[in-house]
Amino acid sequence: MASQKRISKELADCTENPPQGMRISLPNDSDLHKWHVTLEGPSQSAYSGGTFGLFVTLPPDYPFKTPQITFSTRIYHPNVTNDATGSICLGLLKPEQWKPATRIRSVLEAIRSLLVEPNPDDPLEARIADEYKNDRKEFEKNAKTYVTRYAKGTPKFEAVPAAAAGGSDGVGDSSTGRRAN
Amino acid sequence: MAVNGADDARDVELSSLSAIYPEIQQVHPGDRYTIALDVPVTPSKAVIVSFPAAEQPTQPVQPNGHPHDVEGGHNLVDQQELAHLPPVHLEIAFGPGYPTEKPPKVTVTTTPPWLPLETIQKLQDDAPRLWEELGRDMVGFTYIDHVQQAAEEVFGLVGDSGTLEVDGQHKISILDYDIQARRAAFERETFECGVCLDPKKGSACHKMMDCGHVFCVHCLQDFYNDAIEKGELASVRCLAPGCAKEREKAVAQSAGKKRKKVRTFISPSELLQIPLDQEKVKRYVSLKYKTELESDKNTIYCPRQWCNGAARSKKHKKPQGLELCEVSEDEDDDNKDEDDKESRLAICEECSYAFCSRCQQSWHGEFVRCMTRRDKEQLTAEEKASLEYMKLHTTPCPTCAAPAQKTQGCNHMICYRCQTHFCYLCSAWLDPGNPYFHFNQQPGGRVTSCYMRLWELEHGDGDDVGYGFAGGRGQGARPQAQIPAQIAEPEDAHVVGDAPEPVPAVHVQADPAPENANRPAEVAREGPLVLRIGGGNGPAGAGRGGPRGRAGNAPVPRQAAPGGRGQNNHAEPPPRGGARARGRGGGGAQEQQQFQGPPRGGAAPRGQGRVGRARGRGGGGAVPARQNANMGLNQAQQPPAAQQRRNNNNNNQNQNIEGQQVGAGGDAWAVDLEAGNGGEGGPALNAAQEAWIRQFVQLAMDDEEDEMDDEDEDEWDNALLF
Repeated sequence: MASQKRISKELADCTENPPQGMRISLPNDSDLHKWHVTLEGPSQSAYSGGTFGLFVTLPPDYPFKTPQITFSTRIYHPNVTNDATGSICLGLLKPEQWKPATRIRSVLEAIRSLLVEPNPDDPLEARIADEYKNDRKEFEKNAKTYVTRYAKGTPKFEAVPAAAAGGSDGVGDSSTGRRAN
Repeated sequence: MAVNGADDARDVELSSLSAIYPEIQQVHPGDRYTIALDVPVTPSKAVIVSFPAAEQPTQPVQPNGHPHDVEGGHNLVDQQELAHLPPVHLEIAFGPGYPTEKPPKVTVTTTPPWLPLETIQKLQDDAPRLWEELGRDMVGFTYIDHVQQAAEEVFGLVGDSGTLEVDGQHKISILDYDIQARRAAFERETFECGVCLDPKKGSACHKMMDCGHVFCVHCLQDFYNDAIEKGELASVRCLAPGCAKEREKAVAQSAGKKRKKVRTFISPSELLQIPLDQEKVKRYVSLKYKTELESDKNTIYCPRQWCNGAARSKKHKKPQGLELCEVSEDEDDDNKDEDDKESRLAICEECSYAFCSRCQQSWHGEFVRCMTRRDKEQLTAEEKASLEYMKLHTTPCPTCAAPAQKTQGCNHMICYRCQTHFCYLCSAWLDPGNPYFHFNQQPGGRVTSCYMRLWELEHGDGDDVGYGFAGGRGQGARPQAQIPAQIAEPEDAHVVGDAPEPVPAVHVQADPAPENANRPAEVAREGPLVLRIGGGNGPAGAGRGGPRGRAGNAPVPRQAAPGGRGQNNHAEPPPRGGARARGRGGGGAQEQQQFQGPPRGGAAPRGQGRVGRARGRGGGGAVPARQNANMGLNQAQQPPAAQQRRNNNNNNQNQNIEGQQVGAGGDAWAVDLEAGNGGEGGPALNAAQEAWIRQFVQLAMDDEEDEMDDEDEDEWDNALLF
């Protein structure tokens, strides 16, 4: 299967030569579609010293469809939902922007750089974004508090992401669209 | 001895030459000492080849031996960048006496003969010259190598201008050769397909026409077939990340301010080249066209139930075969003007049925008036239910009005039809570059009504999730979820009788806070409202031309003045809670329309939002009539449905509509409103209704009320989809 082949290639590449500050493992060796990524908080960011877990779920028709990536570790960040789902707002991960030639590596790298440089103009958490823009000290303090509280030690992956978590955008249902009569 | 030696020397040379150039062939079966070889002309850097028209007198390059053909006298110099030119064909005869006594004899040709004679002569002379220089020794390899090096420089033929001129008559075969050679070179290469990540031979790959990205045919077929099958047309584009964006940037930089839209979708002909099945490409073309029509609010559809094709339009051309016509974007702006002037004649592009775009009947000619609209009472219960549901649980796209229902996620929506980004809560257009800004603090600390509400309704909107959220439709004061009642036929409404009591008029003070957006129909029924032009200060349409008359405070004539085909009262009831009167001035007459609901049973008249609209149309000056509600002595007979509804209403209510007609020689609009608010004890004017009225009036004053009308109709069209 084309999907399996590509995923195993990507996995091999990511394990042999992991993206900076990351470790990749499979929770279940027989299922290539679920990855666990352990991400070290980048040293130049407020998340330095923290270790974050990321769930990577590759749909069966990957790479034609968007992978879902969520934080399994709570993180105080303008572009990540401040709840247990840990949804990430990242252009690359939006279904309408997804291109099949995008690789997981580049998505993971994009997530890491989001930690270094949050994008408060495109936030999921408006309040945190406001704080990031207007009161950086407070933001960093809160982010560090979260790191201390949630992101110390080995990240836990036990929480299964909610089914609806991965995407960030409302999914429009085409309730109409044809002139039926 | 000498002869034998020479023979040996030739054999030795030939065998080593064949080892170096395996493509060497014998020209004549019996003569092993005459060999042929094609030397490819592949310049180290692609050359610009110009094909001047043959007439040019100072043409420096003369094709060998071929007289000029005068080609129709067109002097356009055509230039192409070519990487490959047709090869030089060498025939080398190592005759007896070679190499010691005689030089090899070389014949140089090209097909087509694009090399100039002098060059050929020079190449042929190079063989004996080199033979001499080598001290009359074996010159075969040296010579071939010499020709190869010269070919890389295109034999020094590229002029100072950097172009190579070749006779125009060889253009096609030379271009053809280039394409073939490029293709061959591409097929020999190996590419890593970005989708399956496998290395693939070029022959199994496709290079995207617009951007040059290479993917393997297998992946492209899989992806595009799937996307076309599922109708995800937007994803039929280059699969490389950020591809269109990069090109957009490049275009924006090169074109400066003039931002041209970069074509991101893939043309049907390219899909066929990949290749995709013709059936799939057909589906792609027809879906694409359908989407295009559907996202245009102005599209008119054939009223024949079995057809439902779109009417022919200048803007959207029906695709011919497998080719899509580009939408001419610039026509967008003109449409507004054209709408009124343009013929109502519509011709279905599927079944060629000619019909009136307004009344949906068979075409009746330009001069027949048609006020009948589709009878909206004819909706089935099911349709009504769908409509209700849509009003309650969908938000219309601000661009194409396609209703969207959120199933999950945040309130940043992207229209499935036209890819517009919008807010699910208020239907506001969102900047695709920064859609979440809407939910954040605006510059200056202001906030939108959707501030911090990005994740509201995260689990979707709909009965099944237990929300009764009215989506973008619930915002503001537009009347919602109303099933329209019957449309009054013009003939049905006429002025009768006298109102027994004067109805007091009070200006509505609209308050935009929506209280109950679902009851505008009540507005229409519950009390008198007088709509006036220009409020108490005179007609707003003043100066719009035509003689104006004013009924002033006098009782209004009940019938249109002679000559005016004053007619029609279009009470279009619930959805907009307003009555509409359309007048059409046939001659230079004054027209007046007046409908006033009688205060019944002496109950206190209630002021309620009610909008009347009159349209004066026709050659003459329809003159505004004005009637103060206080003076309302005339009673309009209500359209049956309205009447019935009123009767059903236990409260005695008044309805007071005054249609005004303004303008001459065209349409003119003016609406003012007053509300009768005489008695006590009646319900106060619903804030939502007031707000709606205010909005309507504002639109009317801006002359945009017509547009609002259109929107409503569009919603109806959408509603009828079920």
